[in-house]
Amino acid sequence: MRVLIVEDEKPLRDSVVEQLRQAGFNVDAAADGEEGLYCAREYALDLAIVDLGLPKLNGMELIKKLRAEGKSYPVLILTARDKWQDKVEGLQAGADDYLAKPFHFEELLARMQALLRRSGGWAQPVLRCGAVALDPRTQEVTVNARRVDLTSFEYRILEYLIHRAGEVISKGELTERLYAQDFDRDSNTIEVFIGRLRRKLDPDDSIKPIETLRGRGYRFALQRESAA
Amino acid sequence: MGPRSLSTRLLASVSILLIVFFGITIAALDFAFRRVTEQAMHDRLEAQMLALISASEEDSSGGLLPAPEKTEERLKNPGSGLYGEILRSDGYPSWRSNSLTGTGLDFAVQLPSGQRQYRQLHRGDGSPVRALSRSIAWEFDNGVTRTFVYSVAEDLEPYYAQLNRFRGQLFGWFGLLMLLLLGSLAFLLRRLLTPLRRIEHEIEEIEAGRMTELGAGYPRELLGVTTNLNALLRGERERLARYRNTLGNLAHSFKTPLAVMRNLLSGVPGRDLPIGKQLDEQVGRMDDIVKYQLKRAAASGGTGLGTAPIDVRSALEPLRAALLKVYADRNIDCELVIAPACVFTGDREDLTEVAGNLLDNAFKWSRGKVRMTAHPISDPTARRDGLRLVVEDDGPGIPVDERAHVLERGARLDERVSGQGIGLSVVRELAQLNGGTIAIDESPLGGAFIEIRFPAT
Repeated sequence: MRVLIVEDEKPLRDSVVEQLRQAGFNVDAAADGEEGLYCAREYALDLAIVDLGLPKLNGMELIKKLRAEGKSYPVLILTARDKWQDKVEGLQAGADDYLAKPFHFEELLARMQALLRRSGGWAQPVLRCGAVALDPRTQEVTVNARRVDLTSFEYRILEYLIHRAGEVISKGELTERLYAQDFDRDSNTIEVFIGRLRRKLDPDDSIKPIETLRGRGYRFALQRESAA
Repeated sequence: MGPRSLSTRLLASVSILLIVFFGITIAALDFAFRRVTEQAMHDRLEAQMLALISASEEDSSGGLLPAPEKTEERLKNPGSGLYGEILRSDGYPSWRSNSLTGTGLDFAVQLPSGQRQYRQLHRGDGSPVRALSRSIAWEFDNGVTRTFVYSVAEDLEPYYAQLNRFRGQLFGWFGLLMLLLLGSLAFLLRRLLTPLRRIEHEIEEIEAGRMTELGAGYPRELLGVTTNLNALLRGERERLARYRNTLGNLAHSFKTPLAVMRNLLSGVPGRDLPIGKQLDEQVGRMDDIVKYQLKRAAASGGTGLGTAPIDVRSALEPLRAALLKVYADRNIDCELVIAPACVFTGDREDLTEVAGNLLDNAFKWSRGKVRMTAHPISDPTARRDGLRLVVEDDGPGIPVDERAHVLERGARLDERVSGQGIGLSVVRELAQLNGGTIAIDESPLGGAFIEIRFPAT
């Protein structure tokens, strides 16, 4: 998942970026509103975290511009003023949730996961597709209630595919969403990871969770389960 | 009795003055008129007396009679109102005028020679007459001198009638004069006080929020008042905005380091600190104190002049929409019941803070249903309606023994009540700063019932 954080306070930005990376996110950071707008236009994002009190272009304006340009991914606002008027205006401008400073990182993570889940069309915290279940809160993956051990990168690919289960996702999109810019973007590595995922999730080749559509990409093929 | 208007006071004072002045004038005129008419009557009776004496002639029986051709006509006619009598000192009634017939008037007079008497008598029917008697010695042709008492009298009724007519005219004219004077005074006052009434009207408009300051074109004497009042109104609005902005900046510059601290504590180096949890708790306390005190300080604290009444629906609908968005996962049914024409007289930000905190708490604790109701509180003696705001949920509610605790003065920052956070303390503070009250009860929905009442003012 690729997220953008726009926060002018460097120590806070650095600390959040570091923790988000550790939590498995591909993170872009911007220090002011204009830089934030640039990043939001340039990168394919899954979520943006925007501080309301930004230099150059304030958070409210940034969100309005993003929405006006058709960016539909979830936006979470951070606010130090903690005024209801600000929260209401932020949400009216197009944000989806707010968090008052100072916040616990766990709280931020939980809100982000809930927003990502909702944007993928999931109503329940645990994402279930057929025999496969993925809990973003614990990063635990089970197949038929059997726990599957995945590496960090394998998990990130699977999480992205399951989030958008049923949709075709190209190799390029996967690379862009999951790799940080300075990583090696060889599309062959994606193929290698998909192969490993298939073996771990489906060792006897019975449920066929990940479909390859030649020349187009991959699709998580198991049916979503919306029941609790 | 309350203070009366300037024009009422002035008119009342002038009326009292006029009544006193006119009263004295009327009394003086009345006195003078009575003296003059009394004197005229006395002179008339003296003249009649002299005429009677000079007309007198001796008769055969040793008495005196007025010669008929020299006798005043009125004395000959019964009921004429002028009476006469000549009485000899031994009691022999020498002559009685015809006009005395049937009047029952008795002069009953005994006077030593040369004396006179002026007095009031009554006829048989009780009506008053003025009578003059005079005793004279008459020397007859045969050389005998006898004493006679001459009396003349005149009815007082015509005099009284004249006096009453005079008084009627006097009161009539002076009354008319007073009405004219008061009328012109009222008219002048109206014209003179027009600018003051305009100020009064414009201040009402400002209070109602339809104007933001007083208009131009006031007379020179009032310009000082109006320009200064406008400056005060503008200053007050600007001061609140500036103040809030400063508080916002303060919150921002204070909370950002707190946020950094909190994140460092949960990050890689901080996670391993043994005192990390304690430090994090302290960060939380500092945050609560700042949040509580800043919200309290940012409250407008009542009706800002020149601010329009807030349409409650327009303030609450966006809050509801915002919270539904934030709590989208929870599928909460949030019902908003707002009476028509429901307004809040005060600051929009204060209302939004109160309602926002209450609704947020309700959403937090609800199992699926939240209801917010708003009704005006009417009071015929007040200019502006109050507002009753109720927020209910179907959550666990607030236990009875904790309710008072939540509402106690002085935020319970150190011993927060069962996850209500500082929300309710802030709500209580804001409500009280706006003259309102807060009450906690149990809702028919099953959870908390929180009622805020802003009284009519």
